[in-house]
Amino acid sequence: MPVPKFAIQKPAWTPFNVVAGIIVVVGLVVTVIRFTQGLAATTNLSDYNPWGIWIGFDLLVGVALAAGGYVTSAACYIFGLKRFHSAVRPAILTGFLGYTLVVLALHYDVGRPWRLPYPFIVQRGTTSLLFEVAACVALYLTVLFIEFSPAAMEWLGLKRARQIVVKLTLVLTIFGVVLSTLHQSSLGALFLIAPSKLHPLWYSPYLALYFFVSSIIAGLSMVIFESTMAHRYFHNKMDAEHLRQADGVALGFGKAAAWVLAGYFVIKVVGIAQADTWGYLATSYGAWFLVELLGFVLLPCYAFAISVREKNLKLIRWTAAWSVVGIVVNRFNVGLVAFNYHLPSSERYFPHWMEIAISVFVVTIGVLVYKFIVTHMPILYSHPDYDAH
Amino acid sequence: MSISRRKFLGWLGAAGAGTTLGRSAHAAGTANFSGYPDALGVLFDVTRCIGCRKCEEACQKVNGLPAPEKPFSDLTVMAQKRRTDSRAYTVVNRYEQDPGVRGPLYRKSQCNHCLEPACASACFVAAFKKQSNGAVTYDESVCVGCRYCMIACPFEIPAYEYDQAFTPRIMKCTFCHPRLVQGQLPGCVEICPAEALTFGKRRDLLRIARERTDRFPGRYLDHVYGETEMGGTAWLTISGVPFRELGMREDLGTTPAPELTKGALSVVPIVAGLWPVLLTGIYAISQRREKIAREEQAAAVTAAVAKAQAEAKAKLADAVAKAEKDKQAAIAKEVKKALEEAAKSSARENPAAAAAEAEKKPN
Amino acid sequence: MTSHRSLSPRAGILKPVAAALMLAALIGCTSAASSPGDTNAPRADIIRIDGLKQFGALERPAVVFLHDKHTKALAPKNKDCAVCHLPDKKYMSTKYMRLKDDSKQQVMGLYHTHCTDCHRQTTAAGEKSGPVVCAGCHGDKQIPSSWREIGMDKSLHYRHVKAQENKCEACHHQFDPAAKNLFYAKGKEETCRYCHLNRTVENVTSFRQAAHDQCIDCHRKKLALNQEAGPAACSGCHDAGLQKKIEKVKEVPRLMRGQPDVTLVQAIQRGGQKVDPGTRAKVVPFNHLAHEAANTSCRVCHHASIEACGTCHTLQGSKEGQFVNLQTAMHRVSAQASCMGCHLGYLADKRCAGCHAAMAPRPPQDVSSCASCHVPPPADTTPQSAPKQVAAALLEARRPVTATYSNDAVPETVMIKALSKQYEPVKMPHRKIVQALAKGIKESKLAAYYHPDPGTLCQGCHHHSPVSTKPPACASCHGRSFDDRNLFKPGLQAAYHLQCMECHHQMGIEKPVATDCTGCHKEKS
Repeated sequence: MPVPKFAIQKPAWTPFNVVAGIIVVVGLVVTVIRFTQGLAATTNLSDYNPWGIWIGFDLLVGVALAAGGYVTSAACYIFGLKRFHSAVRPAILTGFLGYTLVVLALHYDVGRPWRLPYPFIVQRGTTSLLFEVAACVALYLTVLFIEFSPAAMEWLGLKRARQIVVKLTLVLTIFGVVLSTLHQSSLGALFLIAPSKLHPLWYSPYLALYFFVSSIIAGLSMVIFESTMAHRYFHNKMDAEHLRQADGVALGFGKAAAWVLAGYFVIKVVGIAQADTWGYLATSYGAWFLVELLGFVLLPCYAFAISVREKNLKLIRWTAAWSVVGIVVNRFNVGLVAFNYHLPSSERYFPHWMEIAISVFVVTIGVLVYKFIVTHMPILYSHPDYDAH
Repeated sequence: MSISRRKFLGWLGAAGAGTTLGRSAHAAGTANFSGYPDALGVLFDVTRCIGCRKCEEACQKVNGLPAPEKPFSDLTVMAQKRRTDSRAYTVVNRYEQDPGVRGPLYRKSQCNHCLEPACASACFVAAFKKQSNGAVTYDESVCVGCRYCMIACPFEIPAYEYDQAFTPRIMKCTFCHPRLVQGQLPGCVEICPAEALTFGKRRDLLRIARERTDRFPGRYLDHVYGETEMGGTAWLTISGVPFRELGMREDLGTTPAPELTKGALSVVPIVAGLWPVLLTGIYAISQRREKIAREEQAAAVTAAVAKAQAEAKAKLADAVAKAEKDKQAAIAKEVKKALEEAAKSSARENPAAAAAEAEKKPN
Repeated sequence: MTSHRSLSPRAGILKPVAAALMLAALIGCTSAASSPGDTNAPRADIIRIDGLKQFGALERPAVVFLHDKHTKALAPKNKDCAVCHLPDKKYMSTKYMRLKDDSKQQVMGLYHTHCTDCHRQTTAAGEKSGPVVCAGCHGDKQIPSSWREIGMDKSLHYRHVKAQENKCEACHHQFDPAAKNLFYAKGKEETCRYCHLNRTVENVTSFRQAAHDQCIDCHRKKLALNQEAGPAACSGCHDAGLQKKIEKVKEVPRLMRGQPDVTLVQAIQRGGQKVDPGTRAKVVPFNHLAHEAANTSCRVCHHASIEACGTCHTLQGSKEGQFVNLQTAMHRVSAQASCMGCHLGYLADKRCAGCHAAMAPRPPQDVSSCASCHVPPPADTTPQSAPKQVAAALLEARRPVTATYSNDAVPETVMIKALSKQYEPVKMPHRKIVQALAKGIKESKLAAYYHPDPGTLCQGCHHHSPVSTKPPACASCHGRSFDDRNLFKPGLQAAYHLQCMECHHQMGIEKPVATDCTGCHKEKS
């Protein structure tokens, strides 16, 4: 059976294509500079600031926002919430893409990217939380690849292979949740080793827990956000099941997000109480912390709750976008803003334009690949030849 | 006490389901590594340092580092605060004092060679090693260049060769480990004209430091920096002014860096072991709930169908019975009627033909 | 390489700062604090207004009040102290707008009403004025202080004596507890601080209060009559810089208060009974006159009373002397008023510190220098009946002079060849150094007591070996560095450098600087 042809012939010079094209060209040029001239030529990294936005954004934010995969598949397959079934594939896809891009971005950041497999094949630094992150990300990327593969197999018509993979769904989902729990939290735990450098309001022995819980928020919000985007741009690719479930997914995930945000708010306050860092709230860093806590945790929590109660889908979608911004703010705060708070402003870090260019480039690649995949593979619809598993 | 409780709570929290973690968190407090026996160290005496930068020069020479733009004899560079970088394993900074009270003070900075190094604990390819002679060494042949060691180091010592595109390395004082192995002194120690750097076994250095601070209480503060900072360092410092005035952080605490991440690491196998069980359990519960729901539904359907069938059957039976009854009645009626007719006609002509007629008539 | 990176915009803190501004705007109580004219120069007139502490914890940070700034602003308007201070019984009250603190509301109200009223009116009149919102005054302003305590030294006292034409009663008084009034007792004058203590007790005001009441009152009255008078503003007395400019009278006539010229240090038993100095093996003759000349005021030694030390510090200690016995009172190294505490303080002097800074303070059980003060009374004298005569005789017999070897015994130069591989040998001007050291302490009688032997001075460098004109060479003891069987001894090179550099540093000899190798070591040709 041929693949259904939904694509409508469009002119090549659409604004999207032009902008994406420019970004890709610039990205490729900077890529060449990065790998021939080194980090000094392309970044503002310094001995005081060894991690910039390629870690703060591409890794920390990237991994958090790719949490939709494990959250959705867990909801559908483990908690048995079948009404979210249509959301699984898009979520797995964005998770898979997200992690792939994280790994891609890491190649830019580390000094000798060809040695990235070293921690597994040459020498294992098992006392390092980064080792745990690396191991989990590598394994989880594999898991996501396998979880995603049925879509590609359906597209390619590999029925038997697909059959085998589909049987593994539960095992893969459980494995994915375990790995996600570990590395999402470990990304926060990376900073546990530097209590003298991270501002006391953000440093907490609960950092790992904060990162894990907020990754659930990120996952839930991203699924809502992505589905909003997908509805806008790929509405014609969606089948009846997807369209029928979409509002239910938004409502269900919004409700869950409201609860998790509430819990997250409580444990953040517990962290302040436990470390007794109330006094810092009166400082300028404290004000910024309150912006994060009240503006990006409590406010979306409330907005989700209200919008779910009133079945206000528009508000849910806006709130999801706001929560996503909140996750970005949080990861930036931990990784960049509150890190090295003790240094004079002359020693602080601000990204070089080429760093930003690479980050934008990586995201753009993600969008382009996503676009390709959803237009060619059965992501937003079930393949007519196959039953929903 | 409060720290251990805080950590305990934190790790408990990190587990998400913290029931089994108490032991590992407590065990962390009882194991204590106080350095290799006979490990070496250096005692830096701030009151003796004259700020000649000879140590910087010797360091550059013995380690084959690139020569600086301005010669080491140019002491004006100390007007700016400098840090160790990819071209200098050690720097001496000048700290102006209250003029008229005392002259400027100088402080040398370099890797402090922690007893339990943060860099070594943070490195995911184990490129750093705490040698038994006290040196913390770095193996560039495995380094990926993630720079987590630089994040981890509380003394902000490791530097990176950002300008190298293909072979960037972490650059950090080696305690002249290759020289130590050959029985030579570290370059900086050897050249120091005033023994502001005293070399020896760390435990001897602590005695020397104590002897000086005890004999000259007015000259030194009663604190040996590095004795307990971050769990202890091989390099120690004594000074007559508070260390913070020399750009040294006094808020680092005494917890060795590995302790800080120990809890989070100990959670890993627990999650890996427990999560699958937990998740499978949840899956099983949701499956079972679904199954039960399915069965109940099926049972209800069966019952409903049976009931409907029974009702239909009963109705049919009734209808049949009624029809039979009606038929019988009709027959009886017809028979009666026919008999009457026959009786009438036979009475008139042939009673036998009238009876046959009544038999044939449908009902 | 690092520097060009660090030039990047500092966004790291921008966000928190922006957020802080937003929050500040929300909360409302905006700060109109730092007026642009404020320089960060140290001031002597910083007063922390935190009197509400007596009513419980402060709700807001204490107010940092600059007193001179206010008097200066009021002066051109012909407004004097009375604008803020009310007249009390005898003196103007030093409290603001009140005589005593009745309640929190009263005190707080006074400040809040009158301060802000005045600030508002001045602002309304188009002049620069102080803040009117909470945070303007209540805030942790950090202003460096130049405040120093001031006391009556001999010179300042003499200038007051002259100005008051020998009328001691203008300042000195006693308190009659029966009549509850002040009276003047001729010949019983004491320093104010004997009665006026750190805090107000019953009828006796604190020293701080008494000094501000009496000094400022007198100064103001005289200034009002356009007479020459002392300062009335804070900085005039308390600013460190201005204090140095206070005129010093060089030749101050001796203040007579019945003290002896010379005497024997008296030991008194607990019951008040004097110990016969004749029964002691040694006595300490004390030259009171010489000590008067060497100190700035009587209070240096007579810290709590003008009586002889032994009156309170009895042999075994007494309640009046807070059980500090005579021995401790004379020998405690950490006490400024004790003999040894004061004498050892001189070691920090440039002329002494060259040698002494490198010497650890002597342990208390070191008795080698006891004889510098404690001497046996001459056999034919009676210390008890005529202590002064005995003291005079002993002091006469003991005319200390710092002893030195004759020039021939002191080598003129010493060649140090330790680093001769790298440099020419160092030709050390040995005799010049010895002479410079000797010259520095020649005038000091105190130093002379402790350098009785011609070899004593040599021991500044030639330490840890017997006194001799032929001391062992440095290299006899100092060898290689970092000898783990001799932990505390520096190696030869460090021994030289530490000794030379430390001495030069302590004596303020600026050349050659320690980092100038060729200042001492000539380059090899």
